[in-house]
Formats: sequence, structure tokens, C-alpha cells
Amino acid sequence: MATPETAAAEYQQRVAETMTTTLTRLLDRSEPVTLDMRLMDELGLSSTLALELLLECEDELEILIDVEQMDQDQMKTIGDLATFVAENSRPS
Amino acid sequence: MTALEAVSVYLPPTRVPIEDLAGSLGLTEMQVKLFRRFHGLREVGRDPDMSLSDLLMKAAAGLDALRGQEHRVRYVLYARAMPVVAPYPVNPLHEVCRALGLEHALAFTVTQQSCASGLMAIDMAGRLLAADIAAAPARPDLTGDPAGPLALILAGEKAFTHDAQVFTDTTVFGEGASACLVSASGARDRLLAYASNVRGDFDNATGENDARLQREYRPLLAEVMLRALDEAGLTLDDIRVILPHNVNMVTWQRMCLLLKFPRDRVLLDNIPTSGHVFCADLFVNYQTACERGLLQPGDRYLAAAVGAGGGATFAAMVFEH
Repeated sequence: MATPETAAAEYQQRVAETMTTTLTRLLDRSEPVTLDMRLMDELGLSSTLALELLLECEDELEILIDVEQMDQDQMKTIGDLATFVAENSRPS
Repeated sequence: MTALEAVSVYLPPTRVPIEDLAGSLGLTEMQVKLFRRFHGLREVGRDPDMSLSDLLMKAAAGLDALRGQEHRVRYVLYARAMPVVAPYPVNPLHEVCRALGLEHALAFTVTQQSCASGLMAIDMAGRLLAADIAAAPARPDLTGDPAGPLALILAGEKAFTHDAQVFTDTTVFGEGASACLVSASGARDRLLAYASNVRGDFDNATGENDARLQREYRPLLAEVMLRALDEAGLTLDDIRVILPHNVNMVTWQRMCLLLKFPRDRVLLDNIPTSGHVFCADLFVNYQTACERGLLQPGDRYLAAAVGAGGGATFAAMVFEH
């Protein structure tokens, strides 16, 4: 039986994979997006595109993300965003 | 000290879901979903049968404090976001002045700061009235009335062009109007401070400044809000409620994180049902705050607005109720 810790880790992995795959498609990149990439400086992610990414993740993972708690200034990399989503979401 | 003597608001009862506007506005399914899910915009007021003059008159008609006091009104300021709202020679402001018996007042439009023009109009009205009072010995028409002169500020627009209906990926505009009587020295809703930052460098004609505006929007708005508080000798801890511009929910959720201000003390109730009512947002939200009993005598509140278009203006006002 999976422990809460392993379930959380698996969920975070799913979020991270969904997020990188979705963003690679949204940005129409030939090279895949990776978790260590910086949102603004490296990917030029606008606030609007970031929200579109979150919306697609919600649909794909069937979750609701608690965006009210999202401090955009603390989100430097895709990994930061994926961790936030994993920790601040619930099944839709 | 400049004071808001009375406020009246009119919002058309007919509400249109933003999905119904998608076709005419050229919104994609994703843009509509973003507006609804994260921006908190569900519907806006629209009344295609009402003219702009009708809309403004509806708001003014609710201003009971104006009746019998028309002779005291020296200025009528129409604060609006759009520079052009009617074909020549139609002049909705003059039509309203005639209908209200205010032909004697000096009437003009304030539009240069887009949706922040409402706050500028309050400041301007207070300054004009104070200057008139200071010059009263030389102005016999003012000396006979101990109650002092007044200004009427009108706001609200028809969403009649694409630009007046939607700001891409940011907000949807709703129809509505407000009317506000301003005095130079009233006792209620006294203006304690006004701060603004006019940034012509954010001109959006080419789109090349959009990303920078998006990045700097919240810090610049926070700066004027804190500056207004500082000029009033207050801090955010002294503020009972923030009356925001109704741009969208997510902007204000993030503003709250930036300011470390509790979100339940920012009046966001009207965003889902009325959208961004141009320069009337402050007055719409003020009325809601009063109706909900959120403001008690002596409470200080902060109003904030951003006007974006040909440049950007960030503005904030501190009031005492």
C-alpha cells in the first residue's frame, strides 16, 4: 500500500510531467521544457500564459488549483510552479 | 478638505454571460475559460436600448442630495476611459446637464488617465471648489450660500466598441454609471490623500510594452497605494477596506499577497456580476460597501485604480468615512 508520502511524491511527479508537456506544447518548442527552466527569464512566460498553463493542468489532472495562494514573485522555475500546484490543489 | 457628499449608482439589470459575448469579441474558448475561472468574470451589464445619456441620467436621478441644491453645483466633471463616446454633435454630458438643470455649471470631461480618471476627477473637483472658496470675496455668486459650492462627478460608459468591451486577457467592461456630489469641506467621506503615477512610457499602441506593463503593474499600483497612505499619515493596518478597480480577481488576489493585506477586506463582490465598470468602479464599490455595512463612521478606506491605454496611470486615494 502506498504511504501518504509516496502518494504525494507520485502526484507531484504527475503534476510536473503534465506541466512540462503542456508548456512545451503551448510555447511550441522543439526542445522539451524542463523543471529547472526559469519562467520569466528563460521561457518568457507571461502572466496570461501562466494562467493558461494552470487551466490546462486543471483540465488534464481533473483538479482545482488554489490560485489565491499563488505568489507569482516566488515562482522562479517550472519546478517551483509544479511544487506549488501539487501542494495547493484538490480533486475537481 | 474634499469630501464625497453623496453617491448614486446605476447598473443595468440585464446581465450578459461572457460566453454570449465571445463571438462578437473574438474570444477563444480558452480566453473565456480564463476569464471565468481565474479572472472571476462571469457576466456584465448591457442594455442596448439605453443611450449613454440615459445611463448617466439613471445614476444622477438617484442622487437625492442634488435635488434643490442645483444652484450650488459649479462644476460637472464627466470621468471616462474612452476619449470619444458619441458622434458629433451629440454631447451626452451637456444633455445630462440640461436635464438636471445644471446649464449654469462649467461642464467638462476628464479622460486622459483612462480608468483612473475617476480618482483624478475627485481631486480636480475638490481643488476647483477650494480655489473658488478661497477667491470668494471676489466672487459674489459664491458668498451668498453658506453651504458652499458643489461639483458633480459623473462616470460610466456604453461598451460600444471592441476596445470598450474587452481588454485582451485582462478584463471585460460592463455598462453602468455613477453620480457623485463633491464638496470642498464636507464632513463625510473626506479625502485624506491622493497619489498617482502617470506613465506615458506604457503606451500600448504597438504592443511592445505589454509584457513590461504586466510585470510592473502590481508593484507600481502598490507603490501609489502606500504613498497615499503615507501622505495621509496612515498604514495599511489603519485601513478598514480597499475599494479596488474591478479589473479582475486574480490581479487583486496577487495584490493582497504583495501588500500582505487580507483578501476579505478587499471588496471584490462586483467583479463577477458587473465586470470593470470603467471609471465608475470606485463608486459602485463604495455603494456596495455602504450597503453591506462595511464602513462605519471614522473608518478609513483606500481606493485604487489603474488606467491603461495610451500609457498607464496608477492612482490611489485614502478616505475617512
